[in-house]
Amino acid sequence: MIRLERATVVSQEQVYENTYLMWLSCPPVAKGASPGRFLMVRCSDGNDPLLPRPMSFHRFRRQPSPEGQALSRQPSPGGQALSLTGERGGAQPATQFAILYDVRGRGTAWLSTRKSGDAIRVFGPLGRGYSLSPAAQNVLLVAGGLGVAAVVALADEAIAAGKAVTLLQGARTVARLFPAHLLPTAVEAVSATDDGSEGHHGYVTEILPGYLPWADQVFACGPGPMFAAMANTMRQARSRKPVQALLEEHMGCGTGVCYGCAVFTRKGVRLVCRDGPRFELREVFT
Amino acid sequence: MPYIRESVDLSVDLLPGHKRGLSLANPVMTASGTFGNGLEYARIFDIQRLGAIVSKAITLKPRRGNVQPRIAETAAGMINSIGLQNIGIEAILRDVAPVWATWRVPVVANIAGESIADYTELAGRLDGTPGVSGIELNVSCPNVESGLEFGVDPRAAAAVTASVRRRTDLPLIVKLTPNVSNIVDIAAAVAGAGADALTIINTFPAMSIDVRRRRPALGWGSGGLSGPALKPIALRLVYLVARSLRIPIIGCGGIMSGEDAVEFMMAGASAVQVGTATFLNPRAPLDVIEGVEEFMRAEGIEDLRQIVGAALAAPESADAGRAPAQYLHPRV
Repeated sequence: MIRLERATVVSQEQVYENTYLMWLSCPPVAKGASPGRFLMVRCSDGNDPLLPRPMSFHRFRRQPSPEGQALSRQPSPGGQALSLTGERGGAQPATQFAILYDVRGRGTAWLSTRKSGDAIRVFGPLGRGYSLSPAAQNVLLVAGGLGVAAVVALADEAIAAGKAVTLLQGARTVARLFPAHLLPTAVEAVSATDDGSEGHHGYVTEILPGYLPWADQVFACGPGPMFAAMANTMRQARSRKPVQALLEEHMGCGTGVCYGCAVFTRKGVRLVCRDGPRFELREVFT
Repeated sequence: MPYIRESVDLSVDLLPGHKRGLSLANPVMTASGTFGNGLEYARIFDIQRLGAIVSKAITLKPRRGNVQPRIAETAAGMINSIGLQNIGIEAILRDVAPVWATWRVPVVANIAGESIADYTELAGRLDGTPGVSGIELNVSCPNVESGLEFGVDPRAAAAVTASVRRRTDLPLIVKLTPNVSNIVDIAAAVAGAGADALTIINTFPAMSIDVRRRRPALGWGSGGLSGPALKPIALRLVYLVARSLRIPIIGCGGIMSGEDAVEFMMAGASAVQVGTATFLNPRAPLDVIEGVEEFMRAEGIEDLRQIVGAALAAPESADAGRAPAQYLHPRV
């Protein structure tokens, strides 16, 4: 049942330049959510700005059960112990989730001024997310820019499942990199910046070939040009490895009725919100 | 203490003069292009509670639609240029209409073409199809023969309406574009050509520029404006036509709440279509139904006919002015 829900802001902080991390409590939306799926976030109290913003689930956690079984990994602002969780759908499904977003316009500016305890309107979970294979041991994540928002949830899940995780992260400059201290410590994080201010000087796709042979599964999220470069790199490396690419497109509804987020694939026109946002890279970028 | 009525009658006999009729459980329909073909939302809520569902525009051949971006947000609104992406009439008849036929809620098939022959063929294919309760003509499409939209030229609009009318006796609704100098002329022309009802209005042609890229925000260039920004424009056009013609009107444009729907009914609409609101609230059409019901209870209204056109008795100084005599009763 998809309906407009009230999510309570648990906390909000500016984690790096122009980028905010907001924890929300909304059990109906958290239920059924998974890495790579998304929710729609209304960015006003009224109808202007009009459209909800599609946002990836960035992280999940659950409040401790009365029995106190949950491992405490990150204290909440109120000092209450909460556990980050990579395992969803178990006996204790996540009740809270985070979104990571850039302030780009009126809507996200409004969102960035919400305070702990405020309610915002959301609906979800929507779309088809990443699919982590139980057989995969080595998991490679490739993120460009804010694409890191979606892969962190998957990193949490993979680490919780005992897998080895490497994150290749590309950004314009060092100030735009997702801070390493916010990643699970077990994740090997490798950076590339356009200006060379940290890590590899250049695009993240340039360091990709060195990691491909190691990876059992590859997941990516980033802007269109990154996917195009990645498809090119894979071709040059003669790699036929599947890549689960999480696409972003302008959306109206998020539910497959407005046809705003169409993407032209090898298999025909698909909707990012309904048929994706996860697509096989080669089906979209050739 | 106001008397609160236990039950109110929301039902609408939209086409009392039509032999098949179009009976709605309530006045709230979904607008074409904002509800897919109904199947998408069948899993999200009880769509049987709707007054009617209008399909996404159907064309003869499947269409891939326009390049990205297809959507741009504007002040209290949005502009879209989807490009009539749809699966085509074959797939509708084969895969979708049989599902519609199992529903209690009536489905109106919205059709779009590039020539009178296209529209007529589409109507012929839909005629007699179980699950199709009516046809809505999208006349905001360019006629390949003239390059002009059918809906901006009274003669072209009448010609396509008359041709479809001859092909089917299904309830025939024509969805008018607001982008005309005199909507009453167009409305009168299609009413005279055999339309059973009018949907007023389609989106308003509009544009947005991406200043960083120095080009139109939409891949297609321009598109159609919808959302709350459109409501006052739509409302006035409903009012203008309702004052001048005796034909059932379905009000459409920026309806977000029950009160918005009531405004349209008071302006003369017998029913309404909820469109863009569904994008920001998947249950918006149901919320509008509940809002109308709430308004009726609070105001002690038993029957919607009590409010349809209630605002038309406004003073002569209203913007609408006096309707020319020839428009008063174009068809009996």
